[in-house]
Amino acid sequence: MNNIIRNCIYQGKNLFRDGSFLFWGMTYPIIMAVFFYAAFNGMMNVNIEDINIGIKENKGISNILEEIDFINVHKIDESEVSEKLESGEIDAFVDGNLNLIVKKSGINQTIIKEVVEQIKQILKLNRPVDGSEFSVSYVTGKNQEANSIVVIFYSLIAMVSTYGIYAGIATASLVQANLSNIGIRINATPLRKENFLIAGVIVSFLMNLLANAILLLFINYVLKIHLFNDIKYSAVFIILGNLFGVILGIFIGVSNKKSSNTKTLIAIAVTLLLSFFSGMMGPWIKVMLDEYIPFLNRINPVSIITNNLYRINLLGSTRSAVEGAIMLLFYCMVFLLLSYVFLRRKSYDSI
Amino acid sequence: MRMIVKVKNVVKRYSEKIALDHFNMEVYEGEILGLLGPNGCGKTTAINCILSLLSFDKGEIEVFGKKMTPNSYDIKRQIGLVPQEVSVFENLTVRENIDYFCGLYVDDKNVRKRYVDEAIEFVDLKDYVKFYPKKLSGGLKRRLNIACGIVHKPKLIFMDEPTVAVDAQSRNFILEGIKRLNGESSTVVYTTHYLEEAEMLCSRIVIMDNGKDIVSGTTEELKAMITTSEKIVVSFVSIEDSVASLMKGIPHVIDIERNGEDFIIKFENGINNLSNLLSFITEHNLTYTKLYSKLPTLNDVFLELTGKELRD
Repeated sequence: MNNIIRNCIYQGKNLFRDGSFLFWGMTYPIIMAVFFYAAFNGMMNVNIEDINIGIKENKGISNILEEIDFINVHKIDESEVSEKLESGEIDAFVDGNLNLIVKKSGINQTIIKEVVEQIKQILKLNRPVDGSEFSVSYVTGKNQEANSIVVIFYSLIAMVSTYGIYAGIATASLVQANLSNIGIRINATPLRKENFLIAGVIVSFLMNLLANAILLLFINYVLKIHLFNDIKYSAVFIILGNLFGVILGIFIGVSNKKSSNTKTLIAIAVTLLLSFFSGMMGPWIKVMLDEYIPFLNRINPVSIITNNLYRINLLGSTRSAVEGAIMLLFYCMVFLLLSYVFLRRKSYDSI
Repeated sequence: MRMIVKVKNVVKRYSEKIALDHFNMEVYEGEILGLLGPNGCGKTTAINCILSLLSFDKGEIEVFGKKMTPNSYDIKRQIGLVPQEVSVFENLTVRENIDYFCGLYVDDKNVRKRYVDEAIEFVDLKDYVKFYPKKLSGGLKRRLNIACGIVHKPKLIFMDEPTVAVDAQSRNFILEGIKRLNGESSTVVYTTHYLEEAEMLCSRIVIMDNGKDIVSGTTEELKAMITTSEKIVVSFVSIEDSVASLMKGIPHVIDIERNGEDFIIKFENGINNLSNLLSFITEHNLTYTKLYSKLPTLNDVFLELTGKELRD
């Protein structure tokens, strides 16, 4: 135990004084946030007031939707749907089977989707729909500034929460004789690799969490964008994101014989790809995946974090939080176990 | 003396290339064993196999009488390694680096502090304890590298070419330090391709080439193994070829090389070689401009045993 604590202290010092960590882990996300803020500032105050939903006449669901303050229900014929969606007169159309038809993606469409999904669930449970207070969960019950720019910030937070991947790779490299000079020395000492790695995971996790906290404080107090209404649930996903990032980094670090630089490139590719699929470069890809490969967004860890931060804070929904948290924990366990399997190989073929 | 490292018939292959070819080596307690050979001959591979950092295809390795494995933590506790490349944390200061590595062996805080102070004193880095490695010169970095490997006062120290790319002053400092370590009862295995270092430092030498142990012994023993026991270089004002060829008749002469004006006359084991040559010069009324005798070096040993220069 003493060994792990000493390793935590020294690895912590080594990481905290690392210029690349200070830049990429702490400064770069802030630069990104400033960049997003500057680029999308004009879109910051688009409030959601009225969401227009088209619905077929004489359907029971219209009564439910009409009860929600911010939703305007338009009873229309199915033949008019396409035209009204095209003209923007309605944001979405809900058919008799509670299927949602939209022409474009956006915050209004997402909120409608959430409402419809909840209605579906309640109907499946045979609970009375009339008694449900949907509006409490969406926007009106919260002080959240509902606008599409915050979604990008959730994506940014999700991405940087996985930045521990780089510290994970660095830790794995330090402990492997075939990857670093210091690995040769460490492997010649009586220090167990597992202890070094455990300390590395703890340090990388805490340091990245610290970097995340600085970013969040910057967004909240400097950019004055209020992102979190439910700190507890949000914290769970940020913490899990950090843990996932570090453990994935360890896995990439120990699972192959590529050089440290190649492993870092793999990490960059992985995080960018996952962030891209989660909608950081624009919501269209996420919407497209939702439509054609919905499974992908359900298993994409960055999407899980983004979606849940979004749902928890913007929509006030914790519906998928447990599933998302379990999924992230599952990933952590799997990569941890696989890393352990790779680490059991003790001697190297070449150094 | 007790044997503390035994390497028997170790074979190590990197794909098709054989790095160690039935390599044998023994290290006895209290000695400085030099592992001498040209670059790429397998010295570092041998050390890495002994330390169980590298897997090997065949053979046996015992350290302190026990089979060495990656999990031999009790054996590793008694070993220190000074790797060929400087292997320290770039973002820890000199003192922090030494303290970190000491802490992997020594739990007691007070003992550790004493050991760290002694190691800093030993490598003379007192003025640099708060420096980061990147701020140190090459020689000072090497000293830090050594301090990290010896701080826990190991019984057995492996030093893998610790003086490569080091200035003359630092090199002398390092070599003196190694002698002092040995004097403090540490056994040292020292790899080098510098003949002078091996000759000056090591009590016993193993000569390696192409992954094989060619021969081992003290410097004197190794020199006694070769045919050439002495070389005399002489430069004549003038000499006829017919007279020059007569020099082959001088007792114990085994070969004569001509290098410009210089004749390099090789003698096998024998006495009075110089006086025999002087008698020949007087007898033939020859005048010489220079004449000196050279005893064989380890390079001669290597040359005779392998057919190539160690510095090739």
